[in-house]
Amino acid sequence: MRYRYIGVISGKGTNGGLFADALRGLAFDATDRLYAVGDSKLVVFSPQGKLLRSRRTERPGHSVAVAADGTVYVGQPGQVQLFDPDGKLLDTWRDAGRLGLVTAIGFVDDYVLLADAKDRCIRRYDQGGKFLNEIGNDNRMRGFLIPNKHLDFVVDPQGVIHACNPGKHRIERYTSAGKLLGHWGRFDGRDPAGFSGCCNPTNITLNRQGHVVVAVKAGPRAKVYSADGKLLAVMGEDDLDPLCKNTDVAVDSRGRIYVIDTARLHICVFAPDITTQPAEPNADETVKP
Amino acid sequence: MKDKPTRREVLGHAVRGATLVGLGGLGFYLIRKANGEGVWQIDCEKCVNSRLGAVGVEVCDYCATSCVLGLSAVRAVNDYSICGRCYICPAYFDIKSAVNEEGLPSQKLCPRDAIDRKPIGWVDPDDPANNYYEYAIDENLCNGCGKCVMACKEPAGLNSIRLVVRYDLCLDCNRCTIAIACPDEAYERKPLSEDEGVG
Ligand code: SF4
Ligand code: SF4
Ligand code: SF4
Repeated sequence: MRYRYIGVISGKGTNGGLFADALRGLAFDATDRLYAVGDSKLVVFSPQGKLLRSRRTERPGHSVAVAADGTVYVGQPGQVQLFDPDGKLLDTWRDAGRLGLVTAIGFVDDYVLLADAKDRCIRRYDQGGKFLNEIGNDNRMRGFLIPNKHLDFVVDPQGVIHACNPGKHRIERYTSAGKLLGHWGRFDGRDPAGFSGCCNPTNITLNRQGHVVVAVKAGPRAKVYSADGKLLAVMGEDDLDPLCKNTDVAVDSRGRIYVIDTARLHICVFAPDITTQPAEPNADETVKP
Repeated sequence: MKDKPTRREVLGHAVRGATLVGLGGLGFYLIRKANGEGVWQIDCEKCVNSRLGAVGVEVCDYCATSCVLGLSAVRAVNDYSICGRCYICPAYFDIKSAVNEEGLPSQKLCPRDAIDRKPIGWVDPDDPANNYYEYAIDENLCNGCGKCVMACKEPAGLNSIRLVVRYDLCLDCNRCTIAIACPDEAYERKPLSEDEGVG
């Protein structure tokens, strides 16, 4: 299975679709429009990578996600802002005590999951912004081990949370009630199938086949694993700036992988090489908890 | 007349002598600080081993090899307020070495074995990754070679280790041989008030 680098979206600068100081979070909506946050900006690109619109966020965005109804959530220090699909501000959830630094957002059933990198855990809220429970801190380290102060997770179609625990070089799976279901991943500085350095992987998403896509730092690259942790593909080793870290990843409906270059402030796009891809998933091929 | 000193007495004299030299150096340092005098210091933002952005480059070991002292006056210092207390520290382990049966890198990075790794608190034998670890640098062994400083640099680490000149060891040479050798002009004589005071 291979991916090839096909180009970049956005970049450093001061125009609408460009970022001056930081580019941190990526997400797709159901129609493959790409949402990117950084600086104090929410930027939307067409599926072809064309700038559609850009608007200010109250504070610097660290994460973004689009709910099934099209509501766009932007995670920020101390709060989350909610926008409608046209970019109109709907609500701001302020909870400095529980939303110290929101670095990932996901949805399960009718609930919203928010990763707080400050408290090193994930929190579940109802759709009105009412806090319900915590995930990932019922252990003796009282949370995920994230020396980079970045916590990322993704939710699969069965509602299972897959979260990076980079200090343990693992991906951990949780229920939304906070029960640890299992984990995979190991340290290895030589074998590309392992996670190297002090703390990897830092970022995670899933593709439509249920494969786990992660980003790692030092040297930065993205990797694709089967649901049970078998390495399938590596990309970006020559395309990402060596200084990149906490590089968010997203996958569109075509299976293209989008990786933020946090140093050059652009988004690298990698397309599956169709001659090496497995067939489309059938009904049996789903992510199992 | 007293017989030859015992081994215990010799050791006692040696320890007291070293303490007095150390206290003398410290006293001298405090007097110079009070007088606002300049001393040799390392600018971490210039030194290639700690300068952010300089990745994939060779470690500079001139601080270890250019000092007039047999064991350089420069030491590595770990700033605990920054250190992530990681299970696998790239400054302690040679993270490119083969993984051993415990799942850890099989070799250490420091050529002088000057870094000590200790778990903080109780370790779960079934999951030793589920813990924080303290990394302490033994200044009696460290020669300031800079390897750990480079390995702890962002993005691989958190930049918690840096090189500092120990004033109680430095002879305050007029023409510091490290300053002459330093390729980055990071070795500077600056007023003590600008001392970063790490460690
Ligand atoms: S500077 Fe060199 S000798 Fe000192 S602790 Fe670091 S690696 Fe070891
Ligand atoms: S001034 Fe002399 S003793 Fe001090 S670091 Fe430089 S060469 Fe070494
Ligand atoms: S000689 Fe200069 S660049 Fe080299 S380690 Fe010392 S301060 Fe850093």
